[in-house]
Amino acid sequence: MRKMRGSLRFGVVATGLVLVATACGSSGSSKSAGGSQTTGGGSGKQGGVFRLGIVEPTAIDPYNSQESEGENVTKAVFEGLVTVDNATAEIKPGVAESWTKNDACTVWTFKLTAGTQFSNGETVTAQSFIDGWNRAAQQKAASDTAEFMSDIQGYDAVHGTTSATASATTMSGLAAPDPNTLQVTLATPNCDFDKKTLQPVFSPVPKVAGAAEAHSAYADMPIGNGPFKMKEPWQHDKSITLVRNDLYHGTKAGLDEVDYTILPSQNATELEYKNFQAGQADFARIPPELQPQAKSQYDSQGEFIHKDTYGINYLLVNVQNPPLNNPDARKAISYAIDRDAIISGVFKGFQSKATSLIPPQFKDYYQANVCSECTYDLAKAKDEAAKGGLKPGTHVSLQFNTGGGHEAWTQAVQQQLQQNLGLVVDLNGIPFKDLLTNEAAPDATGLFRTAWSADYPSPDDFLRPLLSKTSFPPGDNRGRYDNPAFETLINKGVNEKDPTAKVKDFRDAEKLAIDTDMALIPLWYRSQYRVVNTAKFTGVDLDFFENPTLAAIRLK
Amino acid sequence: MGKFVVRRLLQMVLVLLGASAILFTALFVLPSDPVGSLGGSDRARDPVVIQQLQRRYYLDRPLPIQYLHYLDRTLHGDLGESFRLQRPVNQILGSKLMNTVRLALAAIALEILMGITAGVISAVWRYSFWDVFATLSTTIAVGFPTFVIGLIFQQAFALKLHWLPLSGQTQGLWRSIWLPALTLASVDAAIMSRLMRGTMLEVLRADYIRTAMAKGLSRRTVVLKHALRNSIIPVITYIGIGFGTLLGGAIVTEVIFNWDGVGQALVTAIGAQDNPIVLGAVTYAVGAFVIINLLVDISYAYLDPRIRLS
Repeated sequence: MRKMRGSLRFGVVATGLVLVATACGSSGSSKSAGGSQTTGGGSGKQGGVFRLGIVEPTAIDPYNSQESEGENVTKAVFEGLVTVDNATAEIKPGVAESWTKNDACTVWTFKLTAGTQFSNGETVTAQSFIDGWNRAAQQKAASDTAEFMSDIQGYDAVHGTTSATASATTMSGLAAPDPNTLQVTLATPNCDFDKKTLQPVFSPVPKVAGAAEAHSAYADMPIGNGPFKMKEPWQHDKSITLVRNDLYHGTKAGLDEVDYTILPSQNATELEYKNFQAGQADFARIPPELQPQAKSQYDSQGEFIHKDTYGINYLLVNVQNPPLNNPDARKAISYAIDRDAIISGVFKGFQSKATSLIPPQFKDYYQANVCSECTYDLAKAKDEAAKGGLKPGTHVSLQFNTGGGHEAWTQAVQQQLQQNLGLVVDLNGIPFKDLLTNEAAPDATGLFRTAWSADYPSPDDFLRPLLSKTSFPPGDNRGRYDNPAFETLINKGVNEKDPTAKVKDFRDAEKLAIDTDMALIPLWYRSQYRVVNTAKFTGVDLDFFENPTLAAIRLK
Repeated sequence: MGKFVVRRLLQMVLVLLGASAILFTALFVLPSDPVGSLGGSDRARDPVVIQQLQRRYYLDRPLPIQYLHYLDRTLHGDLGESFRLQRPVNQILGSKLMNTVRLALAAIALEILMGITAGVISAVWRYSFWDVFATLSTTIAVGFPTFVIGLIFQQAFALKLHWLPLSGQTQGLWRSIWLPALTLASVDAAIMSRLMRGTMLEVLRADYIRTAMAKGLSRRTVVLKHALRNSIIPVITYIGIGFGTLLGGAIVTEVIFNWDGVGQALVTAIGAQDNPIVLGAVTYAVGAFVIINLLVDISYAYLDPRIRLS
């Protein structure tokens, strides 16, 4: 197979590039082994080295790749069963060309495209997926992301539990009736399982991968089936270099090379931005305080990207302990926070106010203003405070983690609550680890700064982990919200076959938890800003994981 | 001499043991569980993974057992595994150590060059233009915090003039080392030049210098051979301390310039409560400091035969 060279031009419109290219990798057309070229959409040519900074990931091996940095590399080197459309968050085929589930959402059957390959030439089969999943689930692997597999039958036997060590090495719920069919049996029904497999932990691995170990040769130079492959082993704390994988079954990547420079976590954002300014990087995050300047400097050349992503910033509230153990008290707090003033004053407009828990990116599920208490209203705040027993002089604790740039806005919230309701807000900045411990403590009280981003494009990934009783600590429902009516709604929604009814169930569940019960206090959605060298490259956008759409980038 | 070295080396072992014991207690007595959560994420960690890691790293054992395990491992040359990255600390710190040593050598060389030259010139031509200039610039250099100097250098040489790379080592060691080395050298060179000037002025007033002059020796010989050698001991002490500290990792400078050294690793590790890396980096820093100071003490005897090492 021959490499596409710079002379070859693609002839479709530039604007649709990202869309088309992500979708294309999977469209089920040209799939013969190492096969014919799929022509990508969009203009631009092949070639070029794309340079960007990241901080040292915990892992790039899919078994434990977890932060957006690790996912950035892993998703470039591996392709799972499905991919996600960048614009609509719709699930599209990846290695699987089609899939079905039974009525109970407990048995999933994925049909794989025949003859796709890893970059070492090995064929990707259903067994490659089974190997990858089992490998990550092993108790010894101590993978932080294996949890995503916890609904697969036999997971506990392989992963162990806090009271029992692992008794098996393969999950009984995984089967390969033939090399191109993967059958997954779930222990608990999940109608969103296909979306979940977007997570890097569901990647296939070749035979050479061996056991999942952080210091194995494979962990430093994983071999995958994605649009890129590793050029050399990971140079820890220095660099990661990828090159185009010409054995990739979908649209070949445009870039010759992706160079990640690894930056110290303390000032990575500052360095990324400076490197961009110095011409040492083609893509960078922007320190929050420099966002207005970056926008005015780079927006006119089209070098400034703004994208609202699948996440939310909110105040976690302990709903079981006084003084915020009744909805009225929590509503008083929410009414008394002037989000618009904080957004324009502290964030210089670089955030957008949240009036729901499910962000607008979930087009069908999003309900603008479902949180009627998310708009500043002093009179109502005082009313609710009186009803909820939040007398002036009541102490309310507000904790946040230091080092995350949360000082200024938490102070503003403190000031507003003190001024508007006469409360005494005990503001406390502590290390991240302590914040999580304090949130989860059974005797916790008051408010905590928190944020959540979707792991896979489903509203269930907001409602269940954050608000369901099944997610009580050690899970993520650290506010300990517990309402049987809410549980009924989300369980009904997850198992609902009729799409309209499904949407309604989730919407009702959100309305109940946020508007009626005010189980947590939404603040602003998640907004991302980047600068990009568009003089040289086209097709750069942020994907679902907030990483650049590397496979779609083309040289101008 | 031999006896002296042996005694000092034994002392070093005690220092290292003491430092590690204090540090170990301080780190492991901290309230939060170092593997209990994912660094920097709002997501709770899988309890099975927490348990698995606690077992693997002996965190479920009592503190004295943990310490003995640590000592046993360390004496066998194994600094353990990073809690966060789950890779051996030796492997993680190995290449960083080389980077820190490189930066320390470059910085100390620049420092000696700038500091001693400026000091000698100021002393010999006291109250001249160069003396005043050196005094002024050293006052400014001492007054500025290191990170400000670093940022100014970045702004000037990388962002405006584009002479040198902003940070990292991707453009080669020789080009990349200039800015961080200069940043580190500037403060210490300033202090060194003032120290040099002071002691040199004192020595220049001494009787034997006047005698040497009177015997008709050239000014150059007198200054470089007699005065410099006799006034350099306090400066050597200062160089020793400075170099020892530099070898332990220059935290601020390494972070500003993304210099992949021990200092940077230490800050990251402290933030992540990655105790094995913290212990490893500090053990190494203490060791380097003690050894450099031993070398400095030995050099006294060479520079001033009146000093006996016994």
